[in-house]
Amino acid sequence: MNLNYFRSRSFILSILIIIATVIISYAINSPYFTLTILIADIFIIMSIGWDFSSGTTNYINFGISFFFGIGALFTGFFFYSFNLSIPFLIIQAFFFGFISGFLITIATLRVRGVFFTLLSLLLPLIGTDFILAFWTVLKMPTIGYYGLPSLSNSLQVSLIYISLFLIIIIILIYTLYSTHIGLILRGIGDDEEAMLAQGINTFWYKVLIFSISMGIVGIAGSLYALSTTFAGIDTFGLEFLLFPMVIAIFGGKGKILGAVPAGYVIIILSQYLQLYVGQFTLILFAAFAIILFLLFPNGISRWFK
Amino acid sequence: MNILKVIEVSKYWGGNRALENITFSMNCNILGIFGPNGAGKTTLLNIIAGIYSPTKGEIYYREKNITKLKPWIRVQLGISKTFQVVRPFRTMTVEENILLFSKIRDNSNVDEIIKITGLEDFRYRFPDQLPFGHLKKLEIAKVLATNPEILLLDEPFGGLNNEEIKDLLELFVKLRKNGKRLVIIEHRISSLLEIAEDVLFLDRGKKVFEGPVKKFLENEDIKEYYFGGNNNA
Repeated sequence: MNLNYFRSRSFILSILIIIATVIISYAINSPYFTLTILIADIFIIMSIGWDFSSGTTNYINFGISFFFGIGALFTGFFFYSFNLSIPFLIIQAFFFGFISGFLITIATLRVRGVFFTLLSLLLPLIGTDFILAFWTVLKMPTIGYYGLPSLSNSLQVSLIYISLFLIIIIILIYTLYSTHIGLILRGIGDDEEAMLAQGINTFWYKVLIFSISMGIVGIAGSLYALSTTFAGIDTFGLEFLLFPMVIAIFGGKGKILGAVPAGYVIIILSQYLQLYVGQFTLILFAAFAIILFLLFPNGISRWFK
Repeated sequence: MNILKVIEVSKYWGGNRALENITFSMNCNILGIFGPNGAGKTTLLNIIAGIYSPTKGEIYYREKNITKLKPWIRVQLGISKTFQVVRPFRTMTVEENILLFSKIRDNSNVDEIIKITGLEDFRYRFPDQLPFGHLKKLEIAKVLATNPEILLLDEPFGGLNNEEIKDLLELFVKLRKNGKRLVIIEHRISSLLEIAEDVLFLDRGKKVFEGPVKKFLENEDIKEYYFGGNNNA
């Protein structure tokens, strides 16, 4: 394991930024701002999960909202059906995200490039319909589960929990990234054919990494459900595909920690745009995203190393 | 026991013949494969490495039929190949490029590989910061990290100056002393003849000569046809 990763400026800065957002939200004491930071943390977890697999390997996965939805919906299901406690609800979200990630990637990772991207989009769409049909047959609420337990009665305490989760996930991913598996991931992104020809069968590494990543996205879905106390079918929506990818790309694709500052910038911006311009948010956000990508074509990670 | 045996291997690309009924065996430490452009040298090396599968024929490594094995399994068995055009992993340092392959067969000694290939001063540099000659060495270092018994080297002297070629020849001699066996494809026959023990000469996909270097140099047909009657290879 290469411990230099943990001494890097980007790692230390990321942790400091997360802590700073908690302190600022306490200082400002605005529920809307606290909720914004909390949502940003959840999207950053998603982005990091996505970037860890897709960003580093260049296998662009358009299916993450499916795994987010799985995490959220199963949190509702397991709470109402088995009355699981919050820690177990989060663990099951990782488990089901991992398993569904495993099943889907084992089928899709045999193809590359645009074919993989297309399959990654299609299979979760089919999966979403399947889950909805399954839910209906079982006479379960397809609209969603209301009244889920909250991480805490206080929004600010919930923010501390979620920030801690984010820090733990960053440490776990960095630990994995600093091992030989991390090297293999970067190698896949660089030149997978050369790796195959020179002795490394990449397939099972990819399946493992994508499964872990989708498990992490599942956790984000569960944390979202536990923060909003609602888990609905809307969690499978486009918004939960678009934002994490924009954050990851603005942060610097494959750079993982660039998602931390990028996530706060993008979510704070979009939340406050929503507050002031309402229905024009998406248009303004898209315009802003285009400007950002023109100004920072390689993301902001260059300034964040 | 022949360490490597190629039996009646042919390769066709559509209707085009790249190799036809090539049979040879490797009993020496350094085998040079020569031939003009389009002779099928790289195709043959890629077939031995498992990157291409032959249209016909079989490959044996230590009496084991490896014809249908994937490239990475052949590397695990002990056969590794360099690329003709260097393909370093550009987001990794020299050390990381070597580390990447160090766990395939046993655990290779990365320090030793860096030392033997003369990359000590470039250990923490990225490939884009390396002179071309050192990129060639890095390509060999990556292959050495897999701890192979046979190294398949595809035009290792391509693009190098005389000084760099001399460096590589010294490296190959060191590797031979360390028990490695080398199969080298090269255009610059004169450089390779300094160290090769046996020669396989191909032309337009067919085997023209197989045998020791001495006999190769004495072969009047080859001299006449390929070198214009002079031994100026």
